[in-house]
Amino acid sequence: MLVIGGGATGAGVAWDAALRGFDVMLVERGDLAEGTSGRFHGLLHSGGRYVVKDPVAAEECVVENAILRDVIPDCIEDTGGLFVTTPDDDPAYGDRFLEGCRAANLPAEEIEVAEALRREPRLNPAILRAFTVPDASIDAWKTVWSFARGAAAHGARILTYHRVTDLHVGDGAVTGARLHNERTGEDVDVEAGFVLNASGAWAAQILHMAGIEDVGVVPGKGIMIAMNHRLVDTVINRCTMPADGDILVPIRTVSVIGTTDIHAADPDEIPVTQAEVDQMLDDGERLVPGFREARALRVGAGVRPLFQDAKTAAVTDTRDVSRTHAVVDHRERDGVDGLLTMSGGKLTTLRLMAQDLVDAMCGQLGEDRPSRTRTERPPGNEDGDSYRLGSRLRRREATLQDEQLICECELIGRRRLEEAMRRRGTADLDDIRRNLRLGMGPCQGGFCIYRAAGILHGVDRLDGAQASAALRAFLEERWKGVWPILYGDQLRQARLDDWIFQGLLDVEHLPDGAPA
Amino acid sequence: MSRHDAIVVGTGLAGLCAALRLAEGGARVLVLAKGIGATHLSAGTIDVLGYAPERVERPAEALAGLPPQHPYSLVGADGVGAAVDWFKQRIAGGSLAPYSYAGGIEENLLLPTALGVPRPSAVVPATMAGGDLRGGAPAGAGDDRRGAGSAVGGAPVCVVGFRPLKDFYAALLADNLARVGLRARGIELDLAPEGRADPNSLAYARAFDDPAFRAEVTAQVVGRLAAEERVAFPAVLGIARPHEVWSELEHRLGRPVFEVPTLPPSVPGMRVFAVLREALRRAGARVILNAVVVGAEHDGGRVTALRARHGLREERHGTEAVVLATGGFAAGGLGLDSRWTAREPALGLPVAGVPAPGEARFRAGYFDDHPLGRAGIAVDRELRPVDEAGERVFENVLVAGATLAGAEPWREKSGDGISLSTGFRAAELALAAAGAPATAGKAG
Repeated sequence: MLVIGGGATGAGVAWDAALRGFDVMLVERGDLAEGTSGRFHGLLHSGGRYVVKDPVAAEECVVENAILRDVIPDCIEDTGGLFVTTPDDDPAYGDRFLEGCRAANLPAEEIEVAEALRREPRLNPAILRAFTVPDASIDAWKTVWSFARGAAAHGARILTYHRVTDLHVGDGAVTGARLHNERTGEDVDVEAGFVLNASGAWAAQILHMAGIEDVGVVPGKGIMIAMNHRLVDTVINRCTMPADGDILVPIRTVSVIGTTDIHAADPDEIPVTQAEVDQMLDDGERLVPGFREARALRVGAGVRPLFQDAKTAAVTDTRDVSRTHAVVDHRERDGVDGLLTMSGGKLTTLRLMAQDLVDAMCGQLGEDRPSRTRTERPPGNEDGDSYRLGSRLRRREATLQDEQLICECELIGRRRLEEAMRRRGTADLDDIRRNLRLGMGPCQGGFCIYRAAGILHGVDRLDGAQASAALRAFLEERWKGVWPILYGDQLRQARLDDWIFQGLLDVEHLPDGAPA
Repeated sequence: MSRHDAIVVGTGLAGLCAALRLAEGGARVLVLAKGIGATHLSAGTIDVLGYAPERVERPAEALAGLPPQHPYSLVGADGVGAAVDWFKQRIAGGSLAPYSYAGGIEENLLLPTALGVPRPSAVVPATMAGGDLRGGAPAGAGDDRRGAGSAVGGAPVCVVGFRPLKDFYAALLADNLARVGLRARGIELDLAPEGRADPNSLAYARAFDDPAFRAEVTAQVVGRLAAEERVAFPAVLGIARPHEVWSELEHRLGRPVFEVPTLPPSVPGMRVFAVLREALRRAGARVILNAVVVGAEHDGGRVTALRARHGLREERHGTEAVVLATGGFAAGGLGLDSRWTAREPALGLPVAGVPAPGEARFRAGYFDDHPLGRAGIAVDRELRPVDEAGERVFENVLVAGATLAGAEPWREKSGDGISLSTGFRAAELALAAAGAPATAGKAG
């Protein structure tokens, strides 16, 4: 079977199917979790956000939140969550919220405002009500890699940088696909007994290759801003109907505010506008006064794979599209066998989505192989402890002076960097960034990326042209996520980086091409 | 309240040069600065003009072609030349003598960066000049050892790196030099100061001051060099006795040796800071670090005193003139808030060149020309700040260095040249004003 898409869904599907003993190949046009999954605020939903508006989604979250805490504990930080009623919100919504939580079996509890402020001193002191929920933060990159590695350990082949350029259809069934290797430029045809389309917001593009049109994939753009500090240690949600800029998630050493929801015509064209940034900062100010004085590190946009079949044309506000998922059966819908599409969904329910999709495949194949992902732990979760802020520093502190610290912001030592470079065998520093968080800290690679290029040159035996191209590409990619938030101290940092890369190293005049 | 003829705000190259020139001219000078300036982050070279936007071979000529709002247009090529000559004398006669600078504003050298990019620079430490990649001969290392103008780019290069120094990659540098047509190769030594795992450039520079470390380095390198090769090191060849370290290496290796500047902390920048700071002390100027200028008192159009925070305490410092050399956005001399309002925090001067609300401040490509790039304080021909209408804001405030509007020094490779020449010019103008009949008077 062929899984298309290396995001959370695809990795979950590969893991689920490999555990059931299927021969799995996963293909991803870029790097794992490079699309929607990696451009995500990091919230492992308790379900509270959906209890009033989307009870089905809420119930799924309640169940899946607990399962993920069991099977991928190392990817999750148990921050807990608060829903707070700001002065701009209707206090009566809190009653509906509590009612919804009870209905969804979600353990929520109202606490005194003073208690909420004691727990989160930066929180807006004018809040009117506060409720605790079991929200958490989840590292999407680690999660996706964990499932992908688990799948690989059970025989799956994970092919990154392989773009599907055609689906082979014969006798009313999908029989395989043509893949384009983005790294080598080669094309290869693969046969598959079944194709699972887990390409999220790109699902319609894949289906188009099988001649299937008018599938209601509605890409919804969401922007989020990573702030330099953990302005809060608990996930903060506005206790109101879901709106823009109403979630603040502490994750690793940063906190992320999100998000917006704007219909995007093309999932590959999702630029962040100045107005969106401004709005997000105002929203942050509502939750944490002084938000605008804090330092913003990076802004990103992701594109949700919302789905609304048959009435797509009527969709204007993508927020009104359900956040639950659905398996699209193309045999039933389009008369095409051997092809299923996962539509909608969210990272919190990735395990359930994967299970449902593989169940549907088993149903078509007449196979009875139950899912094992409820209890099986993928690799990378051996500690069994949820992530704690400071654990990385604690692990490193004793030996901090024993080796070179290449990325000071993210505490990445040379050994770990070289291991990752060897394991990935990549000439792309962005791949390393997603694995190790290289260059993700306050200096945004200002110091470590020149070092990483030098080390990559040695480890991978790259020539000067390749190492230089890797450095330039990293800087150009990084810029996309920083320029819309360059003010205050981060502008200062960026200007220092300009002095280093342009003033000192003269990166912009690196020669192109091969030796003269 | 203390009283001074001039207060210089900032200890980057512009502030240090302005203060020293003022003190030499007989002014009682106070230097106030939040901390050490950008010397410690710089290459340590005086880049006058490297790109405009094509590569500049003869900066003195190219300066004339700059737009009128560029800081160099206020100083003129003669002014830049005078400042460079003055600077070279101060370093050569300074506390690290005979450590000195080579070159001039007539032509640019081409020195390799730590990435191996040939980067134009006009006035450079003599310890770097041997890296000149221009077609003819490498300069600065003595006629008898020149590469005789053989291959394009001069003599082949052996780049020596240190594996424990994470801020310099010899093989990458050499590979990129090879790509522009120079024979180059890298070797890496395992030597580290005191066997440390993660020493920085400064730790190496201190180690090189020690003859035993130098002897170990030369012993490991000398047998590995080919006949015509010159030898590149990261710019860590000594902090207390850099000339001695460099000339000894040249002697022991029997060939030109040159330094290549790399990531901060900048050892060559620290040398400049040390020499100018010591010269200031000798000239009687007072330097106070950790002093943040937060405002001014004025009498009409003249600033009469600066208010500065020293820790928790605020003090007033009376003065006849102010040279503002607090740097640009990188240094905190200029700021931009989240509502996209730019300000100059010390004196509240108007900031020019900031795109209006709703207009693009940056473009989507990192290497694009960014609209905010040339923002800064606009000044008249006497370096006095002006507002949007071109009206002078203060009569006795002069602005120098990266605070000035009209340049993108990191792109132009003009940073230290602008700082040196405008700092020097600001001092000359302030001295001339003070030398007018009503010295210390209110006429300005």
